[in-house]
Amino acid sequence: MSIEPGPEAFEPRLLGFLCTWCSYTGADLAGTARLMVPSNLRAVRVPCSGRVPPELILKAFDNGADGVLVLGCHIGECHYDNGNHRAAKRVPTLQSLLAFAGLEPERLRLDWVSASEGERFARIVSEFTEAVRRLGPCHWRWAAMQPEESHLESAGGRR
Amino acid sequence: MSHTEAIRARARQLLEEKQVSCVIGYEVGPRGRTRPTFIYAPDQIDRLVWNSACTHNLTRYLPGRLKVGKPGEPPPRVAVVVKPCDSRAIHVLLAESQFGREQVHVIGVACEGIMDARSDGGQAELQARCRRCRERMPVLADDVIGEAPSLPAELDPDEDLARLEAMTAAERTEFWLAQFDRCIRCYACRQACPMCNCPICLFERDDSLWVGIGIRLNEKRAFHLGRAYHLAGRCIGCDECERVCPMHIPIGLLNRHLAAEVNRAFGFQAGVAPVLGPLVTVLRDGEVHP
Repeated sequence: MSIEPGPEAFEPRLLGFLCTWCSYTGADLAGTARLMVPSNLRAVRVPCSGRVPPELILKAFDNGADGVLVLGCHIGECHYDNGNHRAAKRVPTLQSLLAFAGLEPERLRLDWVSASEGERFARIVSEFTEAVRRLGPCHWRWAAMQPEESHLESAGGRR
Repeated sequence: MSHTEAIRARARQLLEEKQVSCVIGYEVGPRGRTRPTFIYAPDQIDRLVWNSACTHNLTRYLPGRLKVGKPGEPPPRVAVVVKPCDSRAIHVLLAESQFGREQVHVIGVACEGIMDARSDGGQAELQARCRRCRERMPVLADDVIGEAPSLPAELDPDEDLARLEAMTAAERTEFWLAQFDRCIRCYACRQACPMCNCPICLFERDDSLWVGIGIRLNEKRAFHLGRAYHLAGRCIGCDECERVCPMHIPIGLLNRHLAAEVNRAFGFQAGVAPVLGPLVTVLRDGEVHP
């Protein structure tokens, strides 16, 4: 019996930063509407997509996330007027930097989901999960591990 | 009149008329190396020089020197000698309200490029950034010293950047991890940067939840990527960070990549005019978002 799961069994670990005013409520709506949403996404509730600094996203990848999803309100609907404007500029810039440093840009996605768009939320999460599943496990964290560290990690069970 | 004489004459006038408290310029040190200097009195003026080794970006000193004191005290005022690339940094600092325009007297020098002394003792050659540089006159200056020099017919293409962008993701990961592995986190890159002027750096806070201050490879990578990101839309390309790096990590590549990306996405070049970078402002008409 193999300890390492095969590629067909790969379940990506995704982190989602969800704006509490729209996307988090949209995720809630997807739940109450009994829509199928992949359970790969771990949701973190943030006050605004503008509260997601690049350090948080880097930290997520450093801690072994296979993908990071940032969801905010549609442009023009931000509770704080322009928080999502900042996200709209920061996330693609960070994406370009991470791609330059060797991360597949598809592993980071920014999108907009309003509180009434439960279906859109379910669709985006499914799409993103499938996209990351196709890419396979993210090597960002493991590549930067010292040999002795990665040994400890694998002994403790990588997944 | 040589550039050195012109700078001295202007500095003497400014100090004697008490227009500024200090002139920040270049001097030749006792071992023959050109280094930054601070001139407070007219009798010290003869230390000021201009030569092809004036590589330092002196605008680095401005935010610290120009801090406004107690209410009622006149704000400090200094003069600074800048190259064309350095003059762009003043635009960024002004846009970010680090000091007032009236607080700084800018002595701009027309630049023919800065030479790098070869470590093997051979003929000095033009720095790589100068071989790519198109701007040979300061974008902001109270006095301009020298005439616009003639540009070389062909500028160097950015071969390193192109080579890296042609790599696959796995090759780039390997390349950068090999580079970051050498980092000793001395923060020289941050100290030399005119834009890195946070009172407490995020990457040096021991109470920071999101960034490690250790020297594990992933923490060093997070530091370098975070540092580069914080300069997105602000870096004016003086390449001081790369020059001062004791481990010869090509961090200027990250800055150049982001500068190209900001120019592509927002049509913005840092320091050309005193306006805020697009990453700290709201979306305008025509700017794309997902």
